[in-house]
Amino acid sequence: MMNTSIFIVDDLWKSYAKTDAVQGLTFQISRGEFFGLLGPNGAGKTTTIGILSGLIEPTGGRVSIDGVDLFSRPMEAKARLGLVPQNFALYPTLSAHDNLVFFGRIYGLKGKHLGERIARVLDIVELTDRANQTVATFSNGMKRRLNIAAGLLHEPKILILDEPTVGVDTQSRNAILESIHSLNKSGVTVLYTTHYIEEAQRLCDRVAIMDQGKIIALDTPARLIRDLGKGIIRIEFNAGVDDKLLDQMDHIGLVRVIDDQKMRIHIETDRTDQSSRELLDLIKTRDGLLKTLDISEPNLETVFIHLTGRNLRD
Amino acid sequence: MIRQIIAIAIKELKVLWLDREALALLFAMPMFFILVMTFALEGVFQAGSKGHPIEILVVHKNGGPVADRAIADLKKMEGLILIETYEGIPLTSDKAEQLIHKGVYPLALVFPEGYTERILKTTNDPQKEKVAVHLISDPAMNFQLLATVKGAIQGAIERQVLFAKIPQRLKERLGTLGGMEGQLENLMGDTNVSEREKSGVVFIHTFPKGFNVGRRPTATEQNVPAYTIFGVFFIVLTLASSFLQEKKDGTFQRILAAPLSKTALLIGKLLPYYLVNLVQIGLMFSIGVFVFGIKLGNLPALVIISIALAAAANGLGLLVAALGKTEAQVNGLSVLLAITLSALGGMMVPTFIMPDLMKTLSLFTPHAWALAGYHDIIIRGLGTKDILSEMFVLLGFASIFFVVALWRFRFDQ
Repeated sequence: MMNTSIFIVDDLWKSYAKTDAVQGLTFQISRGEFFGLLGPNGAGKTTTIGILSGLIEPTGGRVSIDGVDLFSRPMEAKARLGLVPQNFALYPTLSAHDNLVFFGRIYGLKGKHLGERIARVLDIVELTDRANQTVATFSNGMKRRLNIAAGLLHEPKILILDEPTVGVDTQSRNAILESIHSLNKSGVTVLYTTHYIEEAQRLCDRVAIMDQGKIIALDTPARLIRDLGKGIIRIEFNAGVDDKLLDQMDHIGLVRVIDDQKMRIHIETDRTDQSSRELLDLIKTRDGLLKTLDISEPNLETVFIHLTGRNLRD
Repeated sequence: MIRQIIAIAIKELKVLWLDREALALLFAMPMFFILVMTFALEGVFQAGSKGHPIEILVVHKNGGPVADRAIADLKKMEGLILIETYEGIPLTSDKAEQLIHKGVYPLALVFPEGYTERILKTTNDPQKEKVAVHLISDPAMNFQLLATVKGAIQGAIERQVLFAKIPQRLKERLGTLGGMEGQLENLMGDTNVSEREKSGVVFIHTFPKGFNVGRRPTATEQNVPAYTIFGVFFIVLTLASSFLQEKKDGTFQRILAAPLSKTALLIGKLLPYYLVNLVQIGLMFSIGVFVFGIKLGNLPALVIISIALAAAANGLGLLVAALGKTEAQVNGLSVLLAITLSALGGMMVPTFIMPDLMKTLSLFTPHAWALAGYHDIIIRGLGTKDILSEMFVLLGFASIFFVVALWRFRFDQ
């Protein structure tokens, strides 16, 4: 089903005076695929999205959208894209309907067709009964949904969503994720950036993990977790641990000291239950040393920690 | 592209319309200034005082001692500066007219050749052998100020004429001058109006050649264009704030992700503000016509200056939008420019009473050129061809503002 690439990114670079924000990104997205771009803040996701939506000029590389080169034929390529930016990107003093009329016209929609598209996207994001309400009166969740609706108006072949659930409550978040999932099932290719692990795991067919401008892993979430994911035991102490204790922990798993005071450590292990029992046995003789202990089963975040030694949300 | 431009313009008008308070302020502010300041400052200009002297060109080739004494008297008057040469050369009537026409000086006093001889030959019959002294003024000069200066000049000249003619009169009346010289001053002090009328001097007030002026300028004719220009440049604040808001909300980003050029976006975005400016100008001049009864002069010329003025104001707005990174910066810069350029450009104080340095600096403001254009049309009665220089300078300002703004403008910051 997903054998034709609709989005081809080839050796993409973006350099600023002192940094290379994007360093040789290469990936392809298949038609109808739900593709995730996962990474911490500052990983280069937003710059990448800016380039892929034609807003930022890259230093080098090539982007093809549905067979159209983005940089030599930007107008044609952009017509195939729908962008849902991280900001609400709406006019708060206008009604939801007026916002959609404006964004529809920008994409060349008009008359009856525009009216039909507005009705359709409002239905998708379940805002039909709020169409004439001023956006300023909307909750963050409703604004996010309208933001998505605006990106869908012109029936794009690829929908780029940049952190579309930031700042919304759980209920709205679930509704948004459900809408996006349905869209994807109806055939829309989705490029989704997030730093929420659970969203990426739940929605994405494949995930590219970005760090410091590079893709450090790219595969299905299941394969990434299977191949690279370890369980993580996070321990916080009331005082710095000595080197002797650290040496003793070494046989439990890969120990990473997180802070200089040696009060926080992470242990990566394939057997979290057994390892945590061994760990508790080891430190039970040190009265009052243990402050907290948290166990994470293998997931995309532990994949990231495994690859970088840092938390995804640092 | 045209459809997209129209879509952006309609959206912008809707957004503007929904913020009616801000829109109303754009119209109310200059209207308030026109109404209040025109009434309040009527005749209160400080020009002609010691601190703000009026410069008067004087032409007196072979005028003789009576002219020299009148000039000497005028030189002693506080608030007047008499200029007899220009670039080292004694002034001629033509040169003086030329300098006033260019707006370099507001007034010229022209004594005819052989003034003294001709004055002394006149008889007491005012119907015969009148000697004409010409006062040439810039039609844009404040009327109240002109009346005051004119009165002072006329008084000084007639006084010297009477002094000069006293020996002749005494001779006529008494047949001798013996022992009377010491009482000449007293005689002058007693001179009444009827005797002044018999001085034989006719005081003719004209405007430089080429000006089609059938009437004198009023405070309204000066204040309506001045405060209209002042108000027009307040669009800078509204326009720049709107651009900043779009950047902040990320709507520019969303628009530019669409198949749309940056040029189309900017045109669509600026168009409503440009139209608001034109409506603003129309409304302000309507108040001038219907409330104060001013005559606008050549309408096509007025439209040309207004179009160029609105372009300069919009250009400055875009420049502020390009330079201001925060709301505070945009607000501060907009107000600073609106007030400072207005003051410097002669919107609040006429440029001709400013010191030379300020006069020169005023030429670097679009305000001064727009006001000169409006004055040419409304007060001096000039037509389309005559205001082309002002139009080109205003369009030049607009071009510079737009070029620098586009160079500095970032859609994503």
